[in-house]
Amino acid sequence: MTTSAAIKSSLRGSNALPLRPIDQVMDLERLGAMHQSRLSFMRILVRHVMRERWQIVMSTMSLDNEGYGTVIYEIQTPHDLFSFVIFSDYLSPDERNDRVIASKWDLTMALVGGKVSQAYLEMLRKNVPKQEAGRVDSRVFVLSRANRSARNFDYVVDQLAAGGQPDIDKIAKVGYLYRTTAVYGSGKLGMADWEKVSTRWPDFARPFSAEMFACFMLRNFSLFQAEHIAKMRSPATFNPMQADIKRYFGIGNSTGLGMAPYLMNHPMLINQWVEMRELALARVRQLGLYNEDAKEKLNRLIYRVQHHMSETHTEDEWQSQNNVIVLKDLALLSQRLESKLDNWNSLILWSEETCSLQGQELLVSLLLELHPELVDSLESHHGSDEFLDLDPVMPVQTLKQVIENRYAWALKIDFSESGSRDIFWYRSEEKMEPRLGQAATEKGKDKQMALGVGYAVRKCYDQLCDYIKIFPNHSTARFMVTKPKLRGIVRRIQSMNRCVYGDIQANLLDKNVLPMHLLRAKLAFFGVSKFDPRSKLWVRNTMFQGAPLLEDIGGSFNDDWFMPLAPKKGGNV
Amino acid sequence: MHVSMNELKAALRRCFEAANYYVGNYEDAANMILWLEKHGLNGLKELENTLPYIKDDKNKAMSTVVYEDSTSAIIDSHGRSALNCIASAVDLAHAKALECGIATISVHNCHNRKFILKALTDCGRRGISVVAYWRNGSNIVTEYTAAIKAGARYPSFSQAITHLESNDQDKQALTIICSSRVDLDSSLQNSGDHQTRFHMSAEEIARIKEKTIDNGIEIDTGLWEEINQIGAAVLVENSEESRQGAGAN
Repeated sequence: MTTSAAIKSSLRGSNALPLRPIDQVMDLERLGAMHQSRLSFMRILVRHVMRERWQIVMSTMSLDNEGYGTVIYEIQTPHDLFSFVIFSDYLSPDERNDRVIASKWDLTMALVGGKVSQAYLEMLRKNVPKQEAGRVDSRVFVLSRANRSARNFDYVVDQLAAGGQPDIDKIAKVGYLYRTTAVYGSGKLGMADWEKVSTRWPDFARPFSAEMFACFMLRNFSLFQAEHIAKMRSPATFNPMQADIKRYFGIGNSTGLGMAPYLMNHPMLINQWVEMRELALARVRQLGLYNEDAKEKLNRLIYRVQHHMSETHTEDEWQSQNNVIVLKDLALLSQRLESKLDNWNSLILWSEETCSLQGQELLVSLLLELHPELVDSLESHHGSDEFLDLDPVMPVQTLKQVIENRYAWALKIDFSESGSRDIFWYRSEEKMEPRLGQAATEKGKDKQMALGVGYAVRKCYDQLCDYIKIFPNHSTARFMVTKPKLRGIVRRIQSMNRCVYGDIQANLLDKNVLPMHLLRAKLAFFGVSKFDPRSKLWVRNTMFQGAPLLEDIGGSFNDDWFMPLAPKKGGNV
Repeated sequence: MHVSMNELKAALRRCFEAANYYVGNYEDAANMILWLEKHGLNGLKELENTLPYIKDDKNKAMSTVVYEDSTSAIIDSHGRSALNCIASAVDLAHAKALECGIATISVHNCHNRKFILKALTDCGRRGISVVAYWRNGSNIVTEYTAAIKAGARYPSFSQAITHLESNDQDKQALTIICSSRVDLDSSLQNSGDHQTRFHMSAEEIARIKEKTIDNGIEIDTGLWEEINQIGAAVLVENSEESRQGAGAN
């Protein structure tokens, strides 16, 4: 077990490991080039489910022949019993909408503490299908909804009903039966607050583990439901889906702009996630044993990733190009491994000179994969108290130095230049959906969210410099009494200065900002794969593809399910 | 109706943002109200008293330091709500205490002073002990004190209705004593001036918090609607152009 003290001493001070520099790591484009890793939340969750052998049983099954009705799973974890309740309702094709503004869905779900009584189920039935228009209580800690993949669901049911199996090539194109369009936790709609989840339910005390679990359960239900409908339709010819094909189904996800404000509004949490990933990399670079055996393992991983990526179909031109570039990077990496290498560190340095950002970050993920003994112990250290505390005693001169050191990237931006403040972020009155607007032409700039951290730092710095000319010996507290409007940004600057990595380095007001990078960074921490952007503000992706099935729990588990390859065709396919 | 702490905080942030509180301050205001409610000290009742005046502070002068030496200061808050000025006063006391061991700050012309409890708690968590004392009441005086020890997570809180007649100064003044060297504690004396006396220990406050974490918060539906109605002013009207800004095809 790695203690917090051991982590602290690895990050700072005389015993610190050599970490990648802040300006390199916190660059938005690099963050947007990250891939899933052993420390991604889905991977961590599945490790716990499998190694602790969670007992998951379907305690209520009242689906009709068309798959509509209610299902309840009961989940016995090492510490508690939970219920996962699913409502499946008819949805006409013209009502199917992945946007947050939708009001009806094929499936709606709730993760609940304890057993669900009939009365409680009725309360859930009245509220869960309404999602944002409903209310629940603090026994519920995840609410979610999902829509069928129009392309896949009916096709898979038809195949199974006719006694066949889904065509692998089709699944490779769209590797899911349902897309989840929102997964809510942390107290939304009356649910339990994170403070309750993290202190009362240790099985879900890691960030987003409950939300990831809901998606894991949805994926398993989607396979069950497709088989159920097929069986009811044609009992005589029905054939269950082969297990290896089932595992190749993940769950789809559509993610929009909502994640971007989250990243900016939780800078200490995001810093913590980055610190753990970077510490894992530093451990591997410094301590990871490089030898022929390890090289062979890496070669096998590269081979698999190459095939996985060549089987990945994206409709987006930009992402398709990226995938081609990463495939070239992987080919170069294979070549590099044919010649002598001193250690993993030299391979990282080589990649930084040779590969694209996506290629470099993929190599980071692959190296973490080779050293679970150095990486996995960090999995319980992704939480953060998120206190943005003012340091009132800090002299204003020191505050100025902090800004110059930690926010040089922001001071470099000329905010008077055309384009540097063309974008504003706001909440729409339509379900408070986060949106982007053009400052010159659209209404609402006066109501913008405070996401322009770089610009706020610049304004603070200018006022601080003027203040210092008059009061060079004042404390920050004294500065704050005079300039209370700067309280938010000063508190943020000082708090992020206490973190190793600090703020994401990007001007979110710039006309060329790519929110896609923010979305992708967070999704990589979650552990998704197969990014397929629908625009620069909206991305489809796949969760849990290749992960074990419920029926695999209790069997052997090698934690190697990520980036799966298409099952070999055969049998009655 | 039932809401979670996170929902209440988010709604309050929007509400104060709409009332022209600035960045950093609307978070403070939301946290101060939530803190009282979460710990059984009637944050929502205090908010109800505050709401009719929520937009007034926009046109008031910022707090000014009218006197200052190394161990003390007097701040004039010009009739502002503690929700948008008291944190700075506590910060100044904190800074002076770290420099000199102990410091006293007097705040004049400040409303809603009970909201100081969240700021005291932040000091305690960061290893500074603080005591606050203030008086209130339009006819007779109600007096209050709260204190937290260095390193503690929860303060104690005392309140007493007295027989004393109030004067204008009582209504808007508050004294903060802060120390990095001495553990301060406070409770109202058992005085003949008191009609009723109420004390909550740090342990009691901690117990109530655990209940709130388990169950969330009950709020009057009308108040909830009012908070959200004020907060709706930060939302931008929907349009086709705006829908494109969400990025969907």
